[in-house]
Amino acid sequence: MLEKSLKLALAGLLLSSTVSMAAEINLQFRFNDPQHKEMRMALDEFEAANPGIKVDLKRIAWKDARDQLIRESAVGQGPDVVHSAFVWVQEFAQSGSLIPLEKLVGYSPFKHGFEDFVANDLTYFEGKPYGVPWTADTWSMIYNNNVMREAGITSKPTTWDEVLAASRIIKEKTGKIGYSFIGGVPESAFMVNYFLWSNGSTIVDDDGKGGFKIGTTKEQLVEAMEYYKTYLDEGLVPKSILSQSTAHDPSGLQPILDDKQAMAIVPIAVIRGLVEGYKASHPDKPMALDTGLTPQGRTKGLTHLGGRTLVINSATKHPKEAWLLLKHLISPAIMTKYYGNQMPATKSGLAAIKFASHEQGFANQFANHTRSWGPYSRGPAPIGQIRNVLARSFAAAISGQKSPEDAAESILKDIARMMDK
Amino acid sequence: MKTYSAQAQERFSAFFMLFPTFFVIISFYFYPALYNLELSFTDMEFTQLRTGGDWVGFENYIEFFTSNDSFNVAFNTVFWLTAVSVTLRLFLGLLFALLLNSKMLSSLKLSTLSRLFLLVPWATPPVVSVIAWRWMLEPIGGPVNEFLLYTGIISEAISFTADLATVWPTIVTIMVWNTTPLVAVSLLASLQTIPDDQIEAASLDGATRWQQFRFVTLPYLMPTLSVLCLMSIIWTFNNFIYVWLTTLAGPGTYTNVMATEVYMKAFVDLRLGYSSAVGVSMAIILAAFGALYFRVVGLSRMQDKVG
Repeated sequence: MLEKSLKLALAGLLLSSTVSMAAEINLQFRFNDPQHKEMRMALDEFEAANPGIKVDLKRIAWKDARDQLIRESAVGQGPDVVHSAFVWVQEFAQSGSLIPLEKLVGYSPFKHGFEDFVANDLTYFEGKPYGVPWTADTWSMIYNNNVMREAGITSKPTTWDEVLAASRIIKEKTGKIGYSFIGGVPESAFMVNYFLWSNGSTIVDDDGKGGFKIGTTKEQLVEAMEYYKTYLDEGLVPKSILSQSTAHDPSGLQPILDDKQAMAIVPIAVIRGLVEGYKASHPDKPMALDTGLTPQGRTKGLTHLGGRTLVINSATKHPKEAWLLLKHLISPAIMTKYYGNQMPATKSGLAAIKFASHEQGFANQFANHTRSWGPYSRGPAPIGQIRNVLARSFAAAISGQKSPEDAAESILKDIARMMDK
Repeated sequence: MKTYSAQAQERFSAFFMLFPTFFVIISFYFYPALYNLELSFTDMEFTQLRTGGDWVGFENYIEFFTSNDSFNVAFNTVFWLTAVSVTLRLFLGLLFALLLNSKMLSSLKLSTLSRLFLLVPWATPPVVSVIAWRWMLEPIGGPVNEFLLYTGIISEAISFTADLATVWPTIVTIMVWNTTPLVAVSLLASLQTIPDDQIEAASLDGATRWQQFRFVTLPYLMPTLSVLCLMSIIWTFNNFIYVWLTTLAGPGTYTNVMATEVYMKAFVDLRLGYSSAVGVSMAIILAAFGALYFRVVGLSRMQDKVG
């Protein structure tokens, strides 16, 4: 009797666990920003609103995120919903790593449609949407006014030459760093592009006949690299910038917090992080950090309109649930509560933002001094490869490994090879 | 007939027992190697994993061998990564082994403690070693720079991993620190097999310390040294982790070596075809070196010793 009862209980237990396993859907969401604790809370809200769906939060560094998804999805693996940069979506779509989203919209459409999102040109491939822009951002100048004042500089420099001149004055009068920049791979590529764009050239351009061409010359590339090399040659920045690979690298940010560096070009998430860090480390001092436009050259200063997108892995077994999760994550309420240091990528959301006084410079940059990656992304050369080639040759030139002329030739040769393919 | 049958049985039995090993080697080595060779003749990119690349013949090989950066990559691999680090590793390994085997350490009762300390770097995984060294060498707050600044030896922090003058010595230091103990321990084991009477006889014959080492100790160590040298060269030539984790092959491509070139082209630039061509070239160079080494140095010395 006892044996029979035990067998029955065991069978019941097995059955119930099988039923619950069958009813539960497990999704994976891979998130690449530091706010993983906040994002976990956002996922908890999703799980509470969608009984039977559990979401596992995975993390990866931004620098590895692109290659990892391509590798995984090719063998039917990887997370269901994936955090991506704007510029990777077309590459992902081309490699078959993503599900086209038009089929999924029917499950739960957007209130204002796809048209409400910014930078939509980067998330469409062959006429179909493959990603939903999640956050929008750009990079702008950040100033530490204490360092500027200490060196007797009362107005913000507006051109590249003025920035260099101000850096020399700061070094001479205070021994501190004026303008510093990322010298390592891969984000030093932004520095080169910003210089080129503000001087009227670009690495990849539309050729006006429906094709693409290289939009810069050896002389323009040499000019950009020599400009940055001057900072190292004159000792205006430490050589450690050559191993700084991203804007988030603490070694590049700490001097700004410590009142030892006056200027840098960084994205909004870093600006907000620095402002919070400054308040925490200088509780009794007035806010010394401020933002402004990136320098102008022969034309106005320009930075890229960037941001994050959410995409769905083609290997997902639960496209409907993945779509529901994606919709949940991009909702304004979730953005405000859990991803507050980023800006929404919808026109309606952006219009509602009230920037703090120290963010007015950034707001101006974002509204009037940005450009899309456009032809870089649409053209035949993979944008990731363009970035790597540019960053490596830039670092080689400013470190002294190669002359700026050799580095520029190398860039043009490599880009031409990629565009010929 | 009976003998032949026994031999046949023995062979069959040997084949049967070795089959799993052959199967594993063919499945996990030869097949990927052949696939890699095939890829090296295509323009396959990572984004084409589903569709495959187009046949381009020797284009990838030509690009690699004629590229401006290839000389730099080859020089870094052969000179800095392999020649300098292997020489230092063998020299220091021999020095530590002789020290650990010396009577001086025994008389001070420091033998066991020294051997334990020697094993610490070897027991530290390379990833941990590189991270620890990078932290120690940080320009801001790194203990090495702090110490040098505090003592007045330098007036400005050194960016060890970013300055062209210091980046290679830094990588070599990390590698040698992490890998020398293996050489030292192996040589120590060989040293302990040398009969004491040989040394005593040499001493009685009037041989100096150097002559004892040159004509008694070193010949005994040569078979071990030869194998360690070969293994070190192959292992170092192929090594990726120290350079990549320390500098990401930078600044620029200043510390790029063949192994990081393979990785960078495949997994950063996503050019699988080109990367495969570099990988095949590496394999050919190593195979040629291995054959030459065994022919000229290793095998003959080992045969002499055995003979």
